[in-house]
Amino acid sequence: ALRVVPSILSRQGMSKSQPLPPKEQTLFKRVLKCYEQKQFKNGLKFAKQILSNPKQSEHGETLAMKGLMLNALGKKDEAFDHARRGLKSDIRSHVCWHVYGLLQRADRKFDEAIKCYRNALKLDQENLQIMRDLSLLQVQMRDLEGYRETRYQLLQQRPAQRQSWIGYAVSYHLLKEYSMALSIIEQFSDTQMETLEYEKSELFLYQNMLLVESGQHQAAVDHLEKFESQVVDKISLLEAKGDLLMTLGRQSEAALVYRELLERNPENILYYRRLEEARQPATVEERLAIYAEQIEHRHSASLPRRLPLSFLTGEKFQGFLDAYMRRMLAKGAAPLFKLLKCLYSDAEKVQTIEQTALGFLESLATCEKFSPEDADSDIQPPTTELWTLHLIARHFCYLHQWEKALEYINRALEHTPTLVELYVVKGKIYKSAGDCQKAAECLNDGRMLDTADRYINCKCAKYMLQSDQVERAEELCSMFTREGSSAADTLNEMQCIWFERECALSYQRQGQWGKALQKCHEIERVSLCASLTLILMFLFV
Amino acid sequence: SRMIKSMAVAAAGRRTTDLGDVTPHNIRQLRTLNTVVFPVTYNDKFYKDVLELGELAKLAYFNDIVVGGVCCRVDTSQDKRRLYIMTLGCLRPYRRRGIGTVLLDHVFKVCKEDGKFDSIYLHVQVSNDEALSFYQKFGFNIKEKEDRYYKRIEPADAYVLEKDASELVSSQLVAC
Repeated sequence: ALRVVPSILSRQGMSKSQPLPPKEQTLFKRVLKCYEQKQFKNGLKFAKQILSNPKQSEHGETLAMKGLMLNALGKKDEAFDHARRGLKSDIRSHVCWHVYGLLQRADRKFDEAIKCYRNALKLDQENLQIMRDLSLLQVQMRDLEGYRETRYQLLQQRPAQRQSWIGYAVSYHLLKEYSMALSIIEQFSDTQMETLEYEKSELFLYQNMLLVESGQHQAAVDHLEKFESQVVDKISLLEAKGDLLMTLGRQSEAALVYRELLERNPENILYYRRLEEARQPATVEERLAIYAEQIEHRHSASLPRRLPLSFLTGEKFQGFLDAYMRRMLAKGAAPLFKLLKCLYSDAEKVQTIEQTALGFLESLATCEKFSPEDADSDIQPPTTELWTLHLIARHFCYLHQWEKALEYINRALEHTPTLVELYVVKGKIYKSAGDCQKAAECLNDGRMLDTADRYINCKCAKYMLQSDQVERAEELCSMFTREGSSAADTLNEMQCIWFERECALSYQRQGQWGKALQKCHEIERVSLCASLTLILMFLFV
Repeated sequence: SRMIKSMAVAAAGRRTTDLGDVTPHNIRQLRTLNTVVFPVTYNDKFYKDVLELGELAKLAYFNDIVVGGVCCRVDTSQDKRRLYIMTLGCLRPYRRRGIGTVLLDHVFKVCKEDGKFDSIYLHVQVSNDEALSFYQKFGFNIKEKEDRYYKRIEPADAYVLEKDASELVSSQLVAC
């Protein structure tokens, strides 16, 4: 969005080449205020008044402001027209150049915009706003040398502002000149400008980041240890420390750090991986011990209860799996299948999962317990049976055993027809089996149960698209998009790529090449890698 | 192993029952429920009217899934002002867990808070022993029998069960 240009306010129509008489000056002040308050129509009225004075009909800065406001109202061509006229009329006005630059930027002509800003700066060398706009564009266009130059100018203008220093250091960081960046930060720390504990802490961490990136690992560790007590973001501190210790080969120390991190968060997979790397367990037992520690002390942690399943085998695996599945099914955890999916590459494990689940089901259906040997105090609520049926249905669906999958999901639906998830699974089964039409119907049945649920709405729309019901899909999506514009437009604007892609594929299936290509173009506008879809499209036409 | 034990310990089933409002977004769930639970089918108008019932219609959630519901209306026939229970039921796997009690308790609450009802009444198919014993446990009495009350199911006769509003006391709940 176009931002306000506060320097304009301070200058108030006093362009040296085109000064305004008092009445028009007042009007111009109003124009600026209207722009700032986004009252563009009013601003245009005042601008019109200035320009209706025959002596001021080509007043550069007014024309420029008019252009700016027209652009905000969506009238791009008129906006550019006025901005150019303004510039032509008053080429020595930094305001006109600045405005033209803003318009270029809004039109994504970034190189042109940079040129305009530079020209504006030549005319008003101490203009902070223009400098900031310029620096933002430079960094966006990766004009890193230019960015450094501008940041230096900003530092000179505002040496008392923290962000000038940091910005300057960052510009060297981007250029990978770490020693310069580090010395700037050091100089800045010496100025004692940082008073807040948190800000000081962040600065230390940034310094550390620079040390690490420049490859000075030992110095980085020493630095961390020296300033440890002043860093308040303990997690970042520990993670950085752990990383560094591993890089330096100090495994046992690293292991301690990761243990500490796990105390803070037993659900972060990275900590477990690193701990394993650090400890290098020789046997399965040792490996399991890493997780056992967390399992025994943290009753609610779910990750350590799942990860060992990937490296355990045989009886150990079976026992662990049994306990894990019991826990998750009793909890009513719908994503259980997804969590176990990674084990499906191992045929033996798949068998074990199937046997365990079917065993549970039989027992639950007869005596409401996971196993007849369970104590009566472990009697399960009816939802446990429900989620077990759900799991088994998904299991068979994945193994492409459609009939079996349907058998179990229908049982689940008979049990509790009000659970939306069941319809999603049923739809998935039909889709995988090849019946997209029926699949879409199932999804729709589920969707109707809860029309406030956007997830199921989108999923249903996707299935509609996959069964080539494009209008219906759009209708569905419109239930959750803004009123006034069509769903397709809004989804395009929101860069909802899944929708565009499914539309394109659907049109392709229907042989509507024109529409399909159009969708591909729309995706390409948004993301470059989608041009692959385009290429594929051409191949099939 | 000790670790496996600690994993299984946490597998004790959770059991929560909550009431929720009927909204245009979830009304289909009520409809699905009623279709499965009751032998009588209710038409579109019934569900259109349900949305205007406010507290007189509720969904019952067990572990966050809709498993039951109740719909009442204000009945002004016979020169009385009575609360009529149109539907009250719950999916078969979830019965005998106190959900019906929670729903009926809500009806009692509505009745008491209103303060101007003469009684609460409903129809029960003569063959439905489960329902008869349920309501009788809560102090409903068989008032009369209406022959051929139902048009499309057998037996077609129904009992009218009624409970005086004045009999509602604060702790009405009977353990199931």
